[in-house]
Amino acid sequence: MSKNKKPEGMMDPFQEWCHKWGRVGTVIALVYMVAIPFIVLVYYDSVPSLGEVINLSTISILLIYIPVGISEALSYTPILGCSAYLTFITGNIMNLKLPCAANAMKIAGKEPNTPEGEAISSVAVAVCSVMTIVILALAALLSTWIMPVFELPAVRTASEYLIPALFGSLTLGLFASTNSGTKVVKNGIMGVLPVLVIVSILSIVVRLIGGGSLFGAVGFLILFMLPIAIIFSRIMWKKGIIKVVDKETGEE
Amino acid sequence: MASMKDIINSPLLLALVVGGLLYITGFALVYLKKAYTRCIELGITKEDLKKVIKSSLVFSIVPSLSIVVGLFALIAVMGVVWSWWRLSVIGSLSYETMISSSVASAIHFSSSAEMLQSASGREFGIVMILMSVGMLSGFLILIPFGRKLSKSVDRSDKGNTWKYVLSGTFMLCLFAVYIPVLVFGDTVQMLVMVSGLVVAVALGILAKRPGLKWLNEFIMAFSMIVGMASSLLWVRIFG
Repeated sequence: MSKNKKPEGMMDPFQEWCHKWGRVGTVIALVYMVAIPFIVLVYYDSVPSLGEVINLSTISILLIYIPVGISEALSYTPILGCSAYLTFITGNIMNLKLPCAANAMKIAGKEPNTPEGEAISSVAVAVCSVMTIVILALAALLSTWIMPVFELPAVRTASEYLIPALFGSLTLGLFASTNSGTKVVKNGIMGVLPVLVIVSILSIVVRLIGGGSLFGAVGFLILFMLPIAIIFSRIMWKKGIIKVVDKETGEE
Repeated sequence: MASMKDIINSPLLLALVVGGLLYITGFALVYLKKAYTRCIELGITKEDLKKVIKSSLVFSIVPSLSIVVGLFALIAVMGVVWSWWRLSVIGSLSYETMISSSVASAIHFSSSAEMLQSASGREFGIVMILMSVGMLSGFLILIPFGRKLSKSVDRSDKGNTWKYVLSGTFMLCLFAVYIPVLVFGDTVQMLVMVSGLVVAVALGILAKRPGLKWLNEFIMAFSMIVGMASSLLWVRIFG
């Protein structure tokens, strides 16, 4: 069998490698990450008790992390495919790795969730991860000298708007990626229409009542909206409103 | 009894962080080699791969610099080494900075400055453990179900058109949540997003001209930079 082919229902060799060794590498990294505080705290004889770690005051921190972690895993893994392991280990997914993977697939003209798309996005995520590690290492090493530049009000203000700027630049890529490859999803937007309506109403209500934004609650919102989007997309697909058509012929 | 300052300036913590970063860099390089080789086997040209790598490097710079801004905000609360570790691996800029504003109160200090000055090693240990364990929730899904989640949207099964639809639904759902939040939640955020989009469209049109095809590789990076820079104007007008 050619290296380029895989039997129907089986995974590509690179995908197999990621789901096996990517997972093993991830577990090792996780054990190491959790071990670091304990090693340091044991060395300094400062290990807190379980009651000190988990109580009413500290639960607020866990309440930020836990739903976000679940939401990210459920919503980003199907988009990232086998590059998810490295992406999750190196973090900064929505503000860096996911757009970087989308950008790479757009440049190479590959679709997500295909062997080619996943291999290309893995290249992008790996390059991006190393780049970020290097930049942060330099920043940490040179922090005394460069901190004043990054504390300039203009730099801080611009940095606060990374996500909106990313979404502006990503929107083009979204439409480009859904139109690449041999098949095109028609009316896919119909499946997320209820999500758009619900989140719009919630955003307007929150702004009118409290003057604030739901920006900090996006992780929670995705967690609740994803099942709605999937169910509604399925209904629309069954009714024939959302269609998958051949790009060349326009036929289903 | 050790203080928080002893821990955040600890050579042991520094050694462990450097060790962890070396491991993760190695992990990323192995991933890169495997993925690169597979791309070649799948018929993707070296030229295309070069473009992808170049564009990914350029694209990574600006978000990484934003993470550096977050790093310095976090350093003021938790010291250089721990902040560096958190933002290099697993952590997310937005949530780590959100956490940094609430850790002091979680361990009964009125401000992060007071925590940095007076917290004991044991008290800072609570923060370190919470931050390390908290983000594991995603991995409790990814490790056992990552393969299934990826397979559920595998588009190479051409006979199953639902997988095609489902595959696109995840990305569309992200947009369907983020866009109304950005558009209706904050005027400046909306204008920054629109600025980024306008620049991306304009560059996309320019890139179609002969001699400007190279722009395609940098549309996202350029439009993101202009979008972020435009925030200075929008904040001045509407902030």
